Amino acid sequence: MINEKVTKYLIIVFLSLYIVLGIVNLFVFNSELSGVGQRWIVSINGKTGFMNEVNPMTLIMSFAIMIGLIIFASTVKFRLVPEKKRQTVFELLFEFYWGIVEDAVPNPKYRKPVFVIGVSFFLYVLVSNLLGGMPGISVSPLSNGKVSVEMFTDTWYTPTSDLNVNAAYAISVLIISHVFSAHSKGVWKWFKGFFEPIIFLLPLNIIGEIAKPISHSVRLFGNIMGGGILVLIVSYMLKYFLIPVFLWGFFGWFVGLIQAFVFSLLAIAYIGSAVE
Amino acid sequence: MENYSIVEALKMVLTSGNMLAWGLYYMGKFVGTGICMGIGAIGPGVGEGETGAHAMDAMARQPEMVGSIRINMLLAMAVAESTGLYSLVISLIMLFVLP
Repeated sequence: MINEKVTKYLIIVFLSLYIVLGIVNLFVFNSELSGVGQRWIVSINGKTGFMNEVNPMTLIMSFAIMIGLIIFASTVKFRLVPEKKRQTVFELLFEFYWGIVEDAVPNPKYRKPVFVIGVSFFLYVLVSNLLGGMPGISVSPLSNGKVSVEMFTDTWYTPTSDLNVNAAYAISVLIISHVFSAHSKGVWKWFKGFFEPIIFLLPLNIIGEIAKPISHSVRLFGNIMGGGILVLIVSYMLKYFLIPVFLWGFFGWFVGLIQAFVFSLLAIAYIGSAVE
Repeated sequence: MENYSIVEALKMVLTSGNMLAWGLYYMGKFVGTGICMGIGAIGPGVGEGETGAHAMDAMARQPEMVGSIRINMLLAMAVAESTGLYSLVISLIMLFVLP
């Protein structure tokens, strides 16, 4: 562990660095709300449309977070007698989630996969939301087709502020829940579940199933993206100097932690309600 | 006559329309954004207030349960917030995505 003196010096160094960068940003960069809500989008084959464009920052940050999580997970060694604090923290987290999964999933056969899915979603969404509360490299497109890269004027790009990522996860949760439902009840009984009270309620059941991933994904997207844009709009008078620290702390860390928990909890609840 | 999407039709209004079309378009956009966000914030406000009030009641009645009540209160607030976030997303789309 780092002793207290080193911690104190690190805090002083970080604060002075932050203040110097804030003063530099105050005078060097112009405070215009030019790139708000804009994404750096690259077309693969020259066409526009849903299937022909990619979001490079989303891909880069998603894979960086995944690789970072895998490397971090390989350093955590689980022993019978805990030696490091890291193991204790992860055991607390896993026990908490195991309690939730035991309450939500009635069939013990499906508890382990649901637990793995829920904790994976929690760790990924938590890390990407916390990156939205730290100042870092921000990339925004310019009007002439080029890209501007700025250091420490905005937070890191978070993959969860892109609706494509959230929608992909929510749709995968929907598919997983239906596959588990068909596997546990049998395909015929699962199919009959759509005509549940009477046969005329089929459209209502289908709409109810489609509404699940929409609300699941837009909740996370609205929180992270709305928080980021709110920070930009509130603080562009003082160009990232004083106010954003508190707002980044609130929207990035507090809201991000709660929304990561809500996302994984709803994933567990959706899968658990589908499994018999 | 070709078929135009909504965004292309709006772009046509903005490029070839006169000043009145511009003014009406921006008026509708900003008034719509304000109404969407203002009315959409009523429901989550009432919902979160109810959640907080009942959580306070429960905390006063059973002070030993404060920890789990607080976690569940934050969770319920985050879920109750979501309808307000839908209106936030729609107003952001109206402000920034439309031309």
